[in-house]
Amino acid sequence: MKKWLAIGLLVPVFASFAFAQTGTKKRRPLPYEYGGVVIKNFSSGAGLSPVQFDHWLHRAKYTCRLCHVDIGFAMKANTTGIKAADNMKGYYCGTCHNGKMAHGDRKIFEACATKYTREDLKRCSRCHSKGENIKRDYDFATFTERFPKERFGNGVDWEKAEERGLLKPVDFIEGVSIKRPALAVQKDFTLTAKVETMPEIIFSHKKHTVWNGCELCHPEIFAGIKKGMTKYSMVEIFEGKYCGACHITVAFPTTDCQRCHSKPVR
Amino acid sequence: MPQQTGPIALRRIAGAAITLLLLCPAVARGNFPLPPELPPELYGNLLISRTMRKSHVMPAAFSHWRYRQKYTCRVCHSELGFAFRANATEITEAENKAGKYCGACHDGRTAFGIEEAQCEKCHNGELGYGKEKFSEILGLPVSNAGNRVDWTKALEEKRIAPATFLAVKPSTDISYDKTLTLNAEWVFVPPAIFPHKKHTAWLECSNCHPEIFNIRKKGTKHFEMARILKGEFCGVCHLTVAFPISECKRCHPAMKRSQ
Repeated sequence: MKKWLAIGLLVPVFASFAFAQTGTKKRRPLPYEYGGVVIKNFSSGAGLSPVQFDHWLHRAKYTCRLCHVDIGFAMKANTTGIKAADNMKGYYCGTCHNGKMAHGDRKIFEACATKYTREDLKRCSRCHSKGENIKRDYDFATFTERFPKERFGNGVDWEKAEERGLLKPVDFIEGVSIKRPALAVQKDFTLTAKVETMPEIIFSHKKHTVWNGCELCHPEIFAGIKKGMTKYSMVEIFEGKYCGACHITVAFPTTDCQRCHSKPVR
Repeated sequence: MPQQTGPIALRRIAGAAITLLLLCPAVARGNFPLPPELPPELYGNLLISRTMRKSHVMPAAFSHWRYRQKYTCRVCHSELGFAFRANATEITEAENKAGKYCGACHDGRTAFGIEEAQCEKCHNGELGYGKEKFSEILGLPVSNAGNRVDWTKALEEKRIAPATFLAVKPSTDISYDKTLTLNAEWVFVPPAIFPHKKHTAWLECSNCHPEIFNIRKKGTKHFEMARILKGEFCGVCHLTVAFPISECKRCHPAMKRSQ
C-alpha cells in the first residue's frame, strides 16, 4: 500500500522534471528549415515517407488565409488529418495540386492518385520526401536571394518583400474562395507590456490582413470583439498560443523581440 | 537500548535533520565542483571538431577573447546563429563558403578567406593557438579570473567598441535595464543581483529568453546553483566564456569572501 503511495507521489514529481524548463539552449532551425512541417498522419500506413511541407515556397505564392481559411488547413501540424482520398476529391492539397490548376505559367502537379504508373511514383516523392534524398525544383538560397533580408526565421523579410511587390501572393481561387467586400482596416494600436520599462507593442492590423484577412485570427485565436477582451501573456505566446500560433513556427519568430516591442520607452 | 517509538524518536530525527540542513550549506559551499582554473589566454577557448575525425582535418581552434573585442556576443550567437555549446552548430565548409557562420566574415575581404593556404589558421588543433596576441588585451581593465579582463568595464569605458550587428541592423534597442534581486536557495547566502543592462550590452533578449530563462521569475524552474554548475541557466555562459562562476561576489555582492 505504502509502496503504491510512494510511486503515486513520485510519478508526478518525475513527470514534472520531464516538462521542466532545462535552462539550456535549443538548436535554432536553419533559414531553409524554418516553417518546415512534417506531416505524417497516414503516410507510413501507405508505405510512403512523411510529407515535408515548406512554408517558404507556398507563402511566396499564396496568402496564409487562402490555405488556412478557404481550404481549411489547421494551424498546428498533423491536426488536419489530410487523407489521400480527400486530396483526390479536390480538398486540402488537392485543391490546387490537381494537375489542372496553374500558378502563373506553371502547371501545378497532381497530388495523390489511386491509379499510377511507375513513372508517376517520382511525383509522390515530391511531397512525401522526408528522409529521402530528393532534388527539389526550387532551391531555397536561389529562390530567396532577391528578397529583403531579416534577422531570424527564414532570414527573409516577407512583409517588406510583399510591400515592395517582389511577391504577389494569390488570395483567391475560383470555386473555393468567395469574394466579400473588404472590411475597413483598423488603425495600428499599441499594447502595453506587462513589465515596466518594456517597450510597448505596436500592432498593425494592416500588415496582418494582407496575409490573413480577418478570419484567420478572429474569433478563434483572438475573440477580437473588443480590445483587451482576450487576456494573454508572453509566457502563453511562447507556448504557441495567441501571437505564438504563427510567430513561433512560420511568421517572424518571437526571437525578434524588437519587431513587436517597438515603441520607444518614454 | 530499547527501540524508541512515538514522538521522542520523531523529534530526534527532526533535530538531526535540521542540524544536517544547517551544516549542509557550509559543507557544500567548499565542495562546489568548480571547473578547473585556466590560464587567462585559454579561458573561453574551444576546439571545434564535429566532423573532423571523419574528414581527417585538425579541429578548428577558436578564442572568444579575440572575437569579443570586435564583436558582441549577439553578432555570432544571434545573427549568425552559432549555438551556445561547442560542436552543436552544423558548420560545414560549404556553409562557410556560402557566407554562413564563419564565412560571414571570413570571405577574403573582412577577414582571411576560406582557402587552401589559410587552413591552418583555424584547423590547427591547438587550444592556445594565437596566444601571442593575448598581450594586446593586457591594457584592458583587470579582473581576478577568466581572461583576467573585466570585459563589461572595458565596454562601459569604451576601451573596446565591439560591433552589434553585421548585415541586418536590429530594429530598435530594447533599453530594458531592470536589475533583479534573486534570493539564494540557502539562508546564509546573500541574494544574487542580475543587471539586465550589462547583459543586453552584449546580448540579444532572445539569447536567453525564453529558452534559458523563462520571462517570468517564477516560471524558471530548478534555477539552482547545482544546475548552473552543470552548464544550465547562468552557467551557459558563466562557466566557459563570461566571467567564471568562481567570482561569487560579482553576482552575490554581499558575500564576505570573494571565493
